Amino acid sequence: MQTKIRTILAIFIIFVSASSCDSYLDLRPQDGIIREEFWKTKEDIQAAVIGIYSSMLNSPPGVNDFPLSQYLFMYGELRGDMIAPGGNVTEDQRDIMNSNIIASNELTDWSIFYRTINYCNTVIDLAPAVREKDPTLTQTQLNHFLSEALAIRAYLYFTLARTFRDVPLKLDATLSDADNFQLPTNTQSEVFAQVIKDLELAEQYGVEDYGNNPSNRGRITTYAINAMQADVYLWVEDYEKAVVAADKVIASPRFSLIQASSNWFNTVYAQGNSTESIFEFQFTPSNLNSFYSIFYLRPQFLGGVEVLEDVFGIDLENANNRDVRGERASLVPGTAQIYKYVGLNFNDLKEVQSSDTHWFVYRFADVLLMKAEALTELNRGAEAIEIIEEIRLKRNALEVTSQEPGSENKIEIINYLLEERAREFAYEGKRWFDLLRNAKRNNYERLDILLSAGIVGALPEQQQSVLAKLRDPNSHYLPINTNELFANKALVQNPFYK
Amino acid sequence: MKRLLRLPSLLRLTLVFLIALVFQNCSEQKIKETTDETLNITEYLRTNSDYSMFLEILDITNYAAFMNTYGTYTIFIPTNDAVQAYLNDVGATSLSQVPITDLQNIAKLHILDQKVNTTSFTDGKIATPSLYGQYLVTGASNKNGVSSTTVNKDASIVASNIELGNGVVHVIDKVLRVADKTLAQTIEADPKLSLFTEVLKETGWYDKLNQPLTDITDIDSYLTVLAQTNEVFQEAGYTTLDQLKNRYSHLNNPLDLKDSLNLFVSYRILPRLQYLADIAITPSLVTKAPLEVISTKLSKDTILLNEDIFNGVLEKGVAIDRSVSDVTASNGVLHYIKGNVAIKKRIPAPVYFEFTDIAEFRRLTAFWKKPAATLQTLFVGDAGIDVTWDAKAGDGAAWIGYRKDADGTSILNGVGNCWGADAIDINRFRDANAQNIRFKTPVIIKGRYKIWISYRQKGTKLGNVKVFFNGIEMPRQINLHEGGNTDTANTPETVLESQGYKRYASPWSNRVNCRLVGVVDVPTTGRHTLTLQSQGSFSDGAWFDMAEFRPVEMDQLWPKFAAGKSTLVQKP
Repeated sequence: MQTKIRTILAIFIIFVSASSCDSYLDLRPQDGIIREEFWKTKEDIQAAVIGIYSSMLNSPPGVNDFPLSQYLFMYGELRGDMIAPGGNVTEDQRDIMNSNIIASNELTDWSIFYRTINYCNTVIDLAPAVREKDPTLTQTQLNHFLSEALAIRAYLYFTLARTFRDVPLKLDATLSDADNFQLPTNTQSEVFAQVIKDLELAEQYGVEDYGNNPSNRGRITTYAINAMQADVYLWVEDYEKAVVAADKVIASPRFSLIQASSNWFNTVYAQGNSTESIFEFQFTPSNLNSFYSIFYLRPQFLGGVEVLEDVFGIDLENANNRDVRGERASLVPGTAQIYKYVGLNFNDLKEVQSSDTHWFVYRFADVLLMKAEALTELNRGAEAIEIIEEIRLKRNALEVTSQEPGSENKIEIINYLLEERAREFAYEGKRWFDLLRNAKRNNYERLDILLSAGIVGALPEQQQSVLAKLRDPNSHYLPINTNELFANKALVQNPFYK
Repeated sequence: MKRLLRLPSLLRLTLVFLIALVFQNCSEQKIKETTDETLNITEYLRTNSDYSMFLEILDITNYAAFMNTYGTYTIFIPTNDAVQAYLNDVGATSLSQVPITDLQNIAKLHILDQKVNTTSFTDGKIATPSLYGQYLVTGASNKNGVSSTTVNKDASIVASNIELGNGVVHVIDKVLRVADKTLAQTIEADPKLSLFTEVLKETGWYDKLNQPLTDITDIDSYLTVLAQTNEVFQEAGYTTLDQLKNRYSHLNNPLDLKDSLNLFVSYRILPRLQYLADIAITPSLVTKAPLEVISTKLSKDTILLNEDIFNGVLEKGVAIDRSVSDVTASNGVLHYIKGNVAIKKRIPAPVYFEFTDIAEFRRLTAFWKKPAATLQTLFVGDAGIDVTWDAKAGDGAAWIGYRKDADGTSILNGVGNCWGADAIDINRFRDANAQNIRFKTPVIIKGRYKIWISYRQKGTKLGNVKVFFNGIEMPRQINLHEGGNTDTANTPETVLESQGYKRYASPWSNRVNCRLVGVVDVPTTGRHTLTLQSQGSFSDGAWFDMAEFRPVEMDQLWPKFAAGKSTLVQKP
């Protein structure tokens, strides 16, 4: 009897231990896929790379910071001189417009940048190992994917360094909670050096043609990389290389300026992916931009009241003679509403459900004007003026905004160039960076550029304080957010924000 | 022991259990009773040895306990180095050697009884006075390429906006000093102002500028002086007092207030405490010269005085020298002007007075003209600067409110979407609650004016309102039930105007209305009183937008006011 019970018991225990453990101790997520099961085929890499682009369009579910394009807009425009608060502006946005910035300002949250950088890092770290598992993945294909991730990471670091100056460089993927998150800041020049290095590698690996227009304008091509290079070289004051990079884009037959006409706005902006486009964020009707709300439905930002007259000019004799970039392209006269991202054509707005105007990272005109800027600094002013005049002709710029700078006079050419850039890239997130880059050249030789822009945004009763603040170069960069300083003790705050 | 062992096993077990219980359960369970561990100001100072000397000041003056109580304070804490520098300056070796009244004054000067973050600092005074009474002046300065926010010009903020349980702390690198010189003494102390001092003495204004204030918290009793240096006098052709007397003193008695030399001086003295930041946003300044005003204009970053277009001719203005101005004295503030200003003869000009543009609302810096303000109530006890009314103090229903909507919302929606997207809300406007609302208008130049009152219409629960100007009843009453005229029969506006109505806002809607209440002779250039008196027992909020004082000869219809914005709409 005893033996029988023991035998039954033994069989039972073996049965239980052998069969039951497996399903309830399994910790794999039921609604996702884990790293060990991903990274196996080239389709997986492709999915991860497209995920990077997707993260630049809108934040993943459950994350409620603004989309990247909105940060790019705010960092580039709020401190500039062409914008005014709309009715739904937040306190923090208004404070930045008035140069009244403290570290607790929520707009200084850089999560979206580092989130996307981590997606890039993951591809860069994990994709090369796929080649061992998937024999159909060629080295060239792998390089193409790496090029995209490297270039996007470089662009994001470039933007961070232009906005915050010193930021931590994180160049490997964050794969587990055990990683070290206490990273110190790197200086702006270190970040720029890394950006240059990444872009060089990305160019080497890069794709010239994806075979279809939306991909050629919406994914990283070698031309997009060259445009970024021209931009970075202007910031590090290496003008020879900036011209070389710009010339690579200019030499391509894929890009040309479109002559001003009644459907110029619709072609370049409302539809996007035109021959003027180098790299755009591809919003679609199923993945809308956030601009319809912030510029039209609940306007947070308006154009400055003087912009239409002062920047684009008005022909008082002939109302139909206008700069194609001004009235009802950049903004609407009277209401000063920013029109670039909500307009369909000269007369009509887009509908809320079809508000898919792209975010324009680089356009052909940008490369041309960046080249002009580099040429000016290389004492080739006459060629620079030629480029400006070519653009003005294509855009039907008005006589009142024309200037005749001397071809030897750098100050005059740069002033003209900045005004032309203001017209060309109104509300494309470039203004503040243009002002800052030109002001800080040669050890802040042209600080006056920032001071006169600062007066425009300042409240009359704070004007003097704002001017005094802007005389400190540290104030030209945003503070590291207070929460970030709590979480990462290795960070050091910009000394201006004490 | 044996007896113990002889006990039944159950009992033994219980005993062991009890003994075990006694030994085990002694440790007390710790329950966290606080929800917030933010320190209060004094506690914060105690934990931070860098500020021990300022803490000592608070301890000596007995303010330490007070700074640890509930409240919303702003405190400027000087570092130990700063306090040490102060001690060296007054020649003491320890704080106990400094007279206690001095320490009390200094401590009070560093404390404000409202929370003020650096984001609301301007180029002028902080809207809330210090507990000492004197206002603190903020700004920013750049020393050796490093900019910092400053307080009272030379103390730089080294750490700002430290949020504590009962307020906010800013750390400064110098002790703030109480201004002890009067305006007259300050002017006399500057050798560049010697001729100006002589003129002040000659005209008797020196003594008036030398009087200490009786009520230090009353902003109206301060004075502002626009001084001109010897150099400026010289440029205008005057180097001695006699030359000035020859030119100006037409009655040969400079002490006579009507003498032109006396007026020359009194035109440079402004009532109230007005720093440059205040001047920059005030379109016209009242002076001590009877009925005379100085107009101001901000051109880029220069403040120009008396720069006006008069009869189509631009009269060049005189700039204020920003770098040396804003000198605080115990009874006012001193500015320097870069040229000789002369009294201007002024013709009447329109005044558009928003009922919400009053000091009581302006000092709600977090709300005034900010889009998310919604409704902010003001009780009679807190009023008394630019508005006051008849009500029992402490009556919870007797308030007027500041209503603000988002800029640019349609005139059809909300309450505030008239001019400036804000409106004043008088709750239960009636006898025994809130009655006879008296506003101080902005400066009106003497002359003959039509008064138009604009309001938001409401169908029920309101009634008629009488308007008084300087206590004189206006011939026409306003009916708050009456909406604006929007007929489609194309009634010309001039016909409406002849009946005392107009479409004052653009775009127009019948939700608002504007009524001509009468014509007045404004006797003096200055601020006057406009009173609203309810004629019924209103049981709901009455919403007023603005009062227009338009010179009778001016176009009464244009410019109009942009609904939901702060701009004017000119005649097309």
